[in-house]
Amino acid sequence: MMAQVAITLNVNGRNQTTLAEPREILADVLRDRLGLTGTHLGCEHGVCGACTVLMDGEMVRSCLLFAVQVQGSEITTIEGLEENGELHPMQKAFSEYHGLQCGFCTPGMILAGIDLLKRNPDPTAEEVRDDMGGNICRCTGYQKIVESVLGAASEMNEVTS
Amino acid sequence: MTTTEWIGARAPRREDPALIRGRGRYVADINLPGTLHMAILRSPMGHASINSIDASEARAMDGVHMVITPDDIPDHVTQFPVIWRLPGQKDSGTPALAEGKVRYVGEPVAAVVAESRYVAEDALDAIDVDYEPLDAVTDAEAALEEGAPVINEDWGDNVAIHHVFAGYNALGECHYDAETFDNAEVTVRGRLKIGRHSGIPLETRGIVADWDEVHGRLTVHSESQVASLFRTELAASLGLPETAVRVLTPNMGGGFGNKWDRYPEDLLVSIASMELGKPVKWIGDRREGLMATVHGRAQVQEWEMALQSDGTILGLRGKVINDLGAHLHSVGIGPAWVTGAAAPNQYKIANYYCDVIAAATNKAPSSTFRGFGGPEGIFGAERMMDKAAKQLGMDPAEIRRKNMIQPDQFPWFNAAGAVYDSGNFPECLEKALEAADYDRLRAEQAELREQGIFRGIGISSYIHVSGFGPSPILGYLSYYTGGYEGSTVKVDPNGKATVYTGMIPMGQGTETTLAQVAAHHLGIDMDDVRVVWGDTDQTPYTGFGSAGSRSNVAAVAVIRAIEEIKAKAIRIGAGMLEADADDLEYAEGAVSVKGAEEMRSVTLAQVAQQAYWAHALPEGDQPFLEATYVYDPPNFTTASGCHVVVLDVDTKTGKITFQNYVIVDDCGPVINPLLVEGQIHGGVAQALGGALLEEFVYDEEGQLLTTSFMDYLLPSFTDVPDMEIHHVVTPSPHTDGGFKGMGEAGTFPPGAAVANAVTDALSHLGVEADELPITPSRLWGLIQEATG
Ligand code: FES
Ligand code: FES
Repeated sequence: MMAQVAITLNVNGRNQTTLAEPREILADVLRDRLGLTGTHLGCEHGVCGACTVLMDGEMVRSCLLFAVQVQGSEITTIEGLEENGELHPMQKAFSEYHGLQCGFCTPGMILAGIDLLKRNPDPTAEEVRDDMGGNICRCTGYQKIVESVLGAASEMNEVTS
Repeated sequence: MTTTEWIGARAPRREDPALIRGRGRYVADINLPGTLHMAILRSPMGHASINSIDASEARAMDGVHMVITPDDIPDHVTQFPVIWRLPGQKDSGTPALAEGKVRYVGEPVAAVVAESRYVAEDALDAIDVDYEPLDAVTDAEAALEEGAPVINEDWGDNVAIHHVFAGYNALGECHYDAETFDNAEVTVRGRLKIGRHSGIPLETRGIVADWDEVHGRLTVHSESQVASLFRTELAASLGLPETAVRVLTPNMGGGFGNKWDRYPEDLLVSIASMELGKPVKWIGDRREGLMATVHGRAQVQEWEMALQSDGTILGLRGKVINDLGAHLHSVGIGPAWVTGAAAPNQYKIANYYCDVIAAATNKAPSSTFRGFGGPEGIFGAERMMDKAAKQLGMDPAEIRRKNMIQPDQFPWFNAAGAVYDSGNFPECLEKALEAADYDRLRAEQAELREQGIFRGIGISSYIHVSGFGPSPILGYLSYYTGGYEGSTVKVDPNGKATVYTGMIPMGQGTETTLAQVAAHHLGIDMDDVRVVWGDTDQTPYTGFGSAGSRSNVAAVAVIRAIEEIKAKAIRIGAGMLEADADDLEYAEGAVSVKGAEEMRSVTLAQVAQQAYWAHALPEGDQPFLEATYVYDPPNFTTASGCHVVVLDVDTKTGKITFQNYVIVDDCGPVINPLLVEGQIHGGVAQALGGALLEEFVYDEEGQLLTTSFMDYLLPSFTDVPDMEIHHVVTPSPHTDGGFKGMGEAGTFPPGAAVANAVTDALSHLGVEADELPITPSRLWGLIQEATG
């Protein structure tokens, strides 16, 4: 057994401290130590994007980071998107446009979609495809994910305009 | 839409609310108190005998609870059987651990159970295995040659089976006639190859076993697509009574057939949990997912088509060599058999013959994968149609028109024994051509070529014989399970319904679909229907379980159970309304007097209350309002359709760019269009992966070179085109509702459609795209060869 170290993170708006081995990846700490199993592992080598979370507002792959590396950061996982019982428009759009089937890629897709709209609030379908190329879905064939992201964009733009 | 017209509605999925919140519960998310974690030591060699295994150091490590080597497996534990056992097929099975030798890279050799996965993996490094390398064979055709290394010594050679389709249809008639091939005006030959690829669900396989010593019960949290059959086989292999095993299925992150099979890890976690008395969990990583989950599709096909000079097909014959991998897995050579049965496709081909040979190779076993041999058969058929058209100087659409089975020719008995129940193949073709604007495309093609744009148009028609079903036919095919689906429907005292199904949702929306069917037929709101799945203690037995194309069979079971409930509701309602049962009808969630001027009725809830009070039940009726129906379909259903692909080839790089992708699909009446579109999109994307990118590559020693998503390329957002879907609806004549299987059909035509389009684009060079995947480098090589 390796020695464990204390890791403090702000996860979904709450400060949390947990013990973990230095070699534990962020995804394992989120899932197994903090019980946030919405972050999924599809490859553990940085290709599929299922493990996507936001770290200090930036999209990162939680399978490629050791938890000790992110001491003190703010992490947002899929579980942190709902505010006061209200789903994020991206979550709603995925359901409305059938942007998910098995749901395994979905948390990562939703976070990647949110990240995209932050940078580009009104993307074209082509821009969605180019930008989200780092997230893999094996079920949907992508078309309805693109529609979901575009749907969320117009919903969010309507609200803000 | 009235509130009860649920069939055909784009109803939102009830699976979604949990999944979009990250509150799905997949097997990796299950953490029972005291869980121990398993890691597997896998063969690093393609073919070697095992001289010895020394695990003493690993056993002594801190945090290690158990090491399983072959010597630690209790004697009474047996291999998982092959359930499709065709006559003449060699004996085989899936053992928990390699027995004396390893036959493929990734084969389990030993397992460690420890307090964490990290510790378990550390301990794997401490196990010392002494291997004696053996000559390997990784090419299926080489494996069949005299003197090739024999992989399973008890077989004597590498031929798992040589099965012959001698041209018999289901009526027992045979029209195979070799002379026609010798004397035909036109003979077209083709040699085709399909690379090894697989379903690759984004969620890897995993399992948790939890042995309860006190009650003698093993609870398994598994992602098996066929939980009941899994329970039967797991109990049998562990030597437990079946009543001792309960299989719970959590959310599944995709299955695509790969999770239909039984695997060594299922036995290993169970053995460990029973020995240690604690829950034992194994979650495969991606490397394991790629090397030790079943592969599929790999075939070499050789075809010969005889035609008249006007394009009329006189016969088709050929040979299919299936690269089976190290041993027969759960379904034996099933997929290759289906290839032989599907190859006559939509055409009037009575004169047919096909040798199907499955060859063992030092690779992972090849077994169940969405489409199950059908896409391979369609690839063969549709490439041959284009080759014939080219040789005859005919338009590829025209040769198809000329040979298609016509709408008035059903049932059609194909020359490989399959029965097609219905369809309108010409309409599908014409609709697809029209949607793609085929005539204009052809007219523009030459002009574009002048400008250096090499545009190709590829057509692929297909049939998908689905709803695999009548149990007696499965028996006839030596497929040792039943083909039925059962459903129990219970109406509670408040008139709300619960449907119990043995189907396992894998992402295709089964729960929503069955809720729609039940709500529609009970005439109640969809929110008043709950669907229970994933617990073998509660749900009906199914020998077939989930395949993307089983919802149609399960739907009928629900409908028939509801028919019984409605009949009982009418009997009870008769007493309540003081009317004769014959004068009553059930509609819109109520029992009412037919044609009465004043509406006289009782609601389902009122009837249900009576059924539970049981104060005044009709003579012979028992309390409760529930029924179970097990539906064994009288025939397969035939889904069909046509895809037209338009793409450009960059002759300098071999890169392909899609211009259009048109789909016409006939899966009968559609229960939920939203879900059908999703299934088609996903199926096409998966098949495009196999057509353009995905391939498991082994070297001559049997090393797997594609063990990460860096080397094994899945299609991404930019690889999959937008698709345009149209429907033709021919209901199946023999199922209630006329539904046909739909979850797999998308995988059938893309391979041929893309290969035909690429060949068409490069027709001026004479390039024939006969090997999948058509990767840029492979295509570039073909272009170089053609241009010298
Ligand atoms: S699990 Fe992190 S990218 Fe795949
Ligand atoms: S919905 Fe299954 S992987 Fe995307």
